[in-house]
Amino acid sequence: MGYSVPRKFPTTVVGSYPKMPSALEAIKRRRSGEISESEFNEMVKVAVRDVVEDHLWAGVDIISDGEQAREDMVVYFAERFKGYSVGDWVRVFDNEYFRKPVVTGRVEWLRPITVELWEYASSISAGRPVKGILTGPYTMIEWSFDLHYRDRRELILDLAKAIRREVEELVRRGARYIQIDEPALSTRPWREDAELLKEALDIIFKGLEAKRIVHICFGRLERILPYILDYPVDQFDLEMKNSNFRLLPYLKEYGYNKEIGFGVVDVHSFQVESVKEIKEAIDKLMKTDIVSPEKAYIDPDCGLKRLPRDIAKAKLKNMVEAARQAREEW
Amino acid sequence: MSVWASPLGGYPRSRVVRRALRDYERGLLGYGELERVVGEASSLIIGSQLSSGLTYVVDGMVDWHDIFRPFIESWRNVTASGLLRYFDNNFFYRIPVFTEKPEASKLVWAPRVRRYAPLAEPSGLKIVVPGPVTFTSMSINKTGYSNEELAEAIAKLLADEVKAAIEAGASMVQVDEPMLADHDATRDEALLAVELVNSIVASAGGAKTALALYFDVPRGEVYDAILDVKANCISLDVVDAPERALKLIESKGFSDHCGILGLVNSRTIYDDPVDKLVEVALRVARSSKVGEMGVTTTTWLDLIPYSYSLRKTYLLGVLTLKIQENVGVAGGV
Repeated sequence: MGYSVPRKFPTTVVGSYPKMPSALEAIKRRRSGEISESEFNEMVKVAVRDVVEDHLWAGVDIISDGEQAREDMVVYFAERFKGYSVGDWVRVFDNEYFRKPVVTGRVEWLRPITVELWEYASSISAGRPVKGILTGPYTMIEWSFDLHYRDRRELILDLAKAIRREVEELVRRGARYIQIDEPALSTRPWREDAELLKEALDIIFKGLEAKRIVHICFGRLERILPYILDYPVDQFDLEMKNSNFRLLPYLKEYGYNKEIGFGVVDVHSFQVESVKEIKEAIDKLMKTDIVSPEKAYIDPDCGLKRLPRDIAKAKLKNMVEAARQAREEW
Repeated sequence: MSVWASPLGGYPRSRVVRRALRDYERGLLGYGELERVVGEASSLIIGSQLSSGLTYVVDGMVDWHDIFRPFIESWRNVTASGLLRYFDNNFFYRIPVFTEKPEASKLVWAPRVRRYAPLAEPSGLKIVVPGPVTFTSMSINKTGYSNEELAEAIAKLLADEVKAAIEAGASMVQVDEPMLADHDATRDEALLAVELVNSIVASAGGAKTALALYFDVPRGEVYDAILDVKANCISLDVVDAPERALKLIESKGFSDHCGILGLVNSRTIYDDPVDKLVEVALRVARSSKVGEMGVTTTTWLDLIPYSYSLRKTYLLGVLTLKIQENVGVAGGV
């Protein structure tokens, strides 16, 4: 079944979505060794179906599996790449902890990780494209401990090779949108770090026949903007709403010429942005005259996982309606 | 030159503390039992510092969810809201939202000091408070007052905290202003921070005082302003960006302050290269001509697992001993 993504202001998601109870239960049972990886994926499919239904209900054009299988964006991949060990507990916020992974050997890709759930989401998406979403190598190294390489460049390049293998699997099975998530980059906005990631992205994206996207959020991206604009990507997906669109003048100044994933929904706020508010954000982007409507993808600032499900749904619904209205005007 | 050691700040929670807090939040554990668990955990953390020979110890602050939370919970007109990333860490704090100038409804530190200072002997108990400029800039200000006025109000409450903590038996006061190490921090912010930190440490009587900057290295013009602070010591991270840190110290020194060097990396879990770090300390000692040197961790220890925090505490002690053997004598409380 085909679906025609709108030519102007296509709507999308960054990836994560509030965890469904079935996903939480599956993660718990897998961790305690009660179920195998294939049984785990089967359980998670119930949650993925809920996510896809929400995305379709809201009318999002390019959707995701809601990252329902991912207890954490780094842990999920670390547990499935060779070379990582399960780490000890480190706090994320309040009294919430995660097992921060530890690199204890050479990192290698072993087998498809995200493919089964991506395929499942695609099979029930009513033809809408599903993004293949992977945590990027820079974020993987920044949010893990390393006891093996002790050389960041060597580690990031091996991670890039492992991620490349997963990307190849997704594209081979039909993924048209590949997104690499790099939230850690803007937290350490140094030129040498930006250049290190470019080297890694060259490996991940070289010759890829799919839309190549990098998602970056929060932090001080403007500091390294000049050093990332020549990344081998088609689109930067950027948080904008939370920082009150601070980045827009910088994009203009540096002659930004790629597609943009334009964050119009604050994922840290429980307040649902109105259609009018979101439409005004899109208008602001258009008036800044950085990209054409064909190169502007409308989405939330980041993953929606920390929001209650009803709020996440409502935000997406309003976002889609605002994009529809913008299409009529621009 | 006297050399002493102290961890920069809080410790991670052990499994027992995590479970107790979780059970307490679910209503499965009473406050008294939680207090007992936290007390035992804090005593163990103090013990690990004492056995490592540290001069100023902390109680671990294992019941704090983030550096701002205990103060928010003890003050009126401020609440904790959504999560935001804490500097460049994969750790999130809850954003304080001020709706009016804050007023204290209870003290954070004095009761803790009364409880833990006797356990810290013969070392001294250090208390840590968030600096008013960092506190304000990481909050949402809905008071109608300017950020400067809000920071002044926060500083006043922190000064009261410090006064009461010293009376209760604290030996050292550290004011954390990591925001001043940020690349975007301005000289004006540094000047304001210095003025407010001065008002806080003025309440510390004869206790040792320090202004701590970490997560990055302050820019030169910011650091120039910081050198006027009336705290006894200035604490800098010299491991995260060593070349920039050493260049700053070698060019500007610590003025007449004692220099506290963040040498033990508290964001990694491998054993620190102690001999190499001794060389760094010697380089600083030679260039800055400090009469007193503190040795510390690069940041709080709560960003690594509990077991590694204890290992880092041990390494801090070993490193300090080696520096003492090379350059001076042990510093005491």
